[in-house]
Amino acid sequence: MNGYATTLTSWNAGRTRVTMPPRATFTRLNRGATLGRPGDAAQQRRVLKATLDLLALDAPQKPVYLDETAD
Amino acid sequence: MEILENREEWKARFEEWWANYQRTGTPDWKAYPLPRNSTAPSGPGVDLSQSRLLFISSAGGYLRDEQPPFDAAHPLGDYSLRLFPVDTPLERLAFSHDHYDHAAVEQDPQVLVPLRHLEAMVDEGIIGALAPTVVGFMGYLPDVTRLVDELIPAVLEAVRAETPDAVLLVPA
Repeated sequence: MNGYATTLTSWNAGRTRVTMPPRATFTRLNRGATLGRPGDAAQQRRVLKATLDLLALDAPQKPVYLDETAD
Repeated sequence: MEILENREEWKARFEEWWANYQRTGTPDWKAYPLPRNSTAPSGPGVDLSQSRLLFISSAGGYLRDEQPPFDAAHPLGDYSLRLFPVDTPLERLAFSHDHYDHAAVEQDPQVLVPLRHLEAMVDEGIIGALAPTVVGFMGYLPDVTRLVDELIPAVLEAVRAETPDAVLLVPA
């Protein structure tokens, strides 16, 4: 994706980290619900906002671990 | 920079994994060669409030009544794209991807495809604008060489057409 500022979020830090994404947030959410619990718009927005905030920073950035869980 | 470092070594290990899969009929995920890179891409950040953001989803989403589903049952995945408008009503989306539980996304599609959240962020001035098209694919793609050779060129062509400044990927 050369030439574009990119960011992502993943519940699977172990698998994603080794691909060396330029910007990433990692959570402890569930597979199939990457942004948050269903119906929990506030959590989905928090994960989304934290992930988008990384776009302001030059890449590569160290991944940011978010305290977001499925519980 | 290479999208997949040590491609030939990876391909050889993948072919062993695939041969075993074909022989046994069962994927041995402990033996699957996870792609590993040593270098991350570099590039400048952007002011998102002044930027056009393109959304990429690997949730296997498609337009229920207008597009064919992905070949979710194929043991080597489906390396094609589905493009749909970013203002698509969420109820018009369906998901074909056999490698995650669909209960959450069927209850609330924004757990994977946050189109209304992104629109709200535009209204709030957090995002400058959204690219009109969402680029979607099905994220079960075990042959990473096919991902590099087939899917990524198609994704890049779709991205260039949207002239974004920034890209957000939400995998499933």
